[in-house]
Amino acid sequence: MHGSELARRQRWLVGIFAVLFLIFAFSAWRTLERVRVNGPIYSEIILGNVLIADILPPPAYIIESYLLALQLVDERDPARINDLVERGNRLRVEYDARQAFWRRTLPSGETADLMTNVAAEAAHDFFKLRDEIFVPAVRADDRARVREALPQMHREYEAHRLAIDRVVQLATESNKQLEAAAEATIERQRLILLVLATAILAVVAFIAVQGQRHARALSERIATASAIAGRVASGDLTTEVPETEGSDESSQLLRAIASMTASLRALVTRAKQASIELMSTATEFAATSRQQEATVQNFGSSTSQIAAAVKEITATSSELMNTMEGVNQVAGQTAALAEQGQSGLTHLDATMDRLAQAAATMASRLAAIREEAAEITGVVTTITKVADQTNMLSINAAIEAEKAGEQGLGFLVLAREIRRLADQTAVATLDIEQMVKQMQAAVSAGVMEIDRFAEEVRSGVASVADVGGQFGQIITQVKTLSERFDAVSHGMRSQSLGAQQIGDAMGQLTDGARQTSTALREFNSATESLRDAVATLRQEIAQFNVGG
Amino acid sequence: MHALALSAGSLRFALPVRAVAKVLPRTRLKPVPLAPPTVAGLLPYRGTLTPVVDLCRLTLGRDAQPRRATRIVVVDVGTERLVGLLAEAVLDLIEIQTTVPGLRLPEHPWLGDHLGAQVDAPQLLDPAQLLPETLARLFVPAGGASESVT
Repeated sequence: MHGSELARRQRWLVGIFAVLFLIFAFSAWRTLERVRVNGPIYSEIILGNVLIADILPPPAYIIESYLLALQLVDERDPARINDLVERGNRLRVEYDARQAFWRRTLPSGETADLMTNVAAEAAHDFFKLRDEIFVPAVRADDRARVREALPQMHREYEAHRLAIDRVVQLATESNKQLEAAAEATIERQRLILLVLATAILAVVAFIAVQGQRHARALSERIATASAIAGRVASGDLTTEVPETEGSDESSQLLRAIASMTASLRALVTRAKQASIELMSTATEFAATSRQQEATVQNFGSSTSQIAAAVKEITATSSELMNTMEGVNQVAGQTAALAEQGQSGLTHLDATMDRLAQAAATMASRLAAIREEAAEITGVVTTITKVADQTNMLSINAAIEAEKAGEQGLGFLVLAREIRRLADQTAVATLDIEQMVKQMQAAVSAGVMEIDRFAEEVRSGVASVADVGGQFGQIITQVKTLSERFDAVSHGMRSQSLGAQQIGDAMGQLTDGARQTSTALREFNSATESLRDAVATLRQEIAQFNVGG
Repeated sequence: MHALALSAGSLRFALPVRAVAKVLPRTRLKPVPLAPPTVAGLLPYRGTLTPVVDLCRLTLGRDAQPRRATRIVVVDVGTERLVGLLAEAVLDLIEIQTTVPGLRLPEHPWLGDHLGAQVDAPQLLDPAQLLPETLARLFVPAGGASESVT
């Protein structure tokens, strides 16, 4: 069972940890023990330092310089003198260096004051005495000075020693204090360490227990998750996942598995539906492709029909072209005839003009005659008046003659004669008037006739003009016709070309139809494959139980 | 005895020459307003204004048509009075040979006998009776006498 596995591992881990911790704690204790102040290691180090301190002349102590000075007192060998002075200088340099160090390092207090002021001053004075008075005196072999300087130097040396001894004292005390304090601290730390170790062990135990519990819960959840996953893998998507609280990874895992199961369920459900739709779609595809095949078949027959029609068109176009040629020729002949007619009309036109002119001349002549007739009429009117008057006079005369009686008889006859003459004149004038009227009527008639004639000539001319115009129109129309014929021939040719192109296109279409047919067949087979695939899919999906 | 033949339309009349003073051409007449239509106007004749009567009006009831032979015949109607007679056409002087009585119209005494027993024989006009009484009265100036013609 997984639960125990996890718990067991946990126990192992905790156990190992506890053991390691104990080892660590123990070694820490031991180390502390060893490196504490006044512990074994500390004592060894201090021993070593003490040994060194016991042997080496301390540079801060001027005892060696004093010793050298004392040795110089009775030294005569210049080489030895130099050597001693040399060593003395070296010692001073060392002292200054150490002074500088302690000045830097020592915390201010009594020790520092003694070391760096009091002792230093004494040493400084000592060195000053030595280098400025004593050594030159020795070199100069000035015994008196030497003897003089020595006690001074001794004094300085003593002062320094006192101070330095005090410093040692103070330092030793301080050390002791430090050691005591360190000891106390170590003890405290060891106590704390002990307490901590105990506490930690307790905590570790507690953790172990908790860990066990958590491990169990964890392993339960994981077991559940793996069970669910197993069921899902075997196709049962109806699994219900229990509600899980908690925010650790295993709870998250369980929840994740739950949502995954739900998603899978939804997905498979959709897939099932989709597969059904796919199936129906595939069936539709198959039906459609069969329809398309039928259409392509029809298309093939339609194409043949179109090709036949195109041939007919071409044949008809040729016939039409021939007809057009014939008509064009006839039109050309018509135009030629019209032109002849036009030129003929020109002659006619000239003749008409002459006629018109002749008519005008005649009209003017008749007008002249009319004028003269009018004049005659005027003359005749005068004659008539005269005759009239004569008549009246004769009548009056006859009346008077009648009244006169006998005497008037002869006069009466005369008057009668005169009256007869006047009457004859009147009659003659009447005749003349009549004749003139007739003449005028004739002239008027003639003028009318001439006018009519001129009118007819004019209308004739107009007709000629019309006819000429119509000929002109015929010619123009024939020309237009020719142009139209050209256009039509052009069109016919284009049509022939077009028909050819249609034929070519038909060929291409047929190829295309064949290709389409092939493609359809492929499509059909693809559809079949699709249906197979869908069937397979359904089989696969059928494994899954979504509970619906 | 001679008579002056006149015509009015197709009617032919004759006036005894003795009664004719003058034959004149048809001249402009002075119009007489408000006079009966038979009065054609006033003719200036020898310093007088002689009334002119339209024969056509009298006989045919229409105005005389203007013809070349249309004349104004100045007639002495007796008592030294002159009246102009507008004749449509003056034809000729004819000799009176026979008179044949036709139809006498009591209210038109001025229409006399015919100069022959033919269809186109002219009918004599009696100048004295020429004017009907009513018409004659019109022409008489009140108390005044016109210059007589000799």
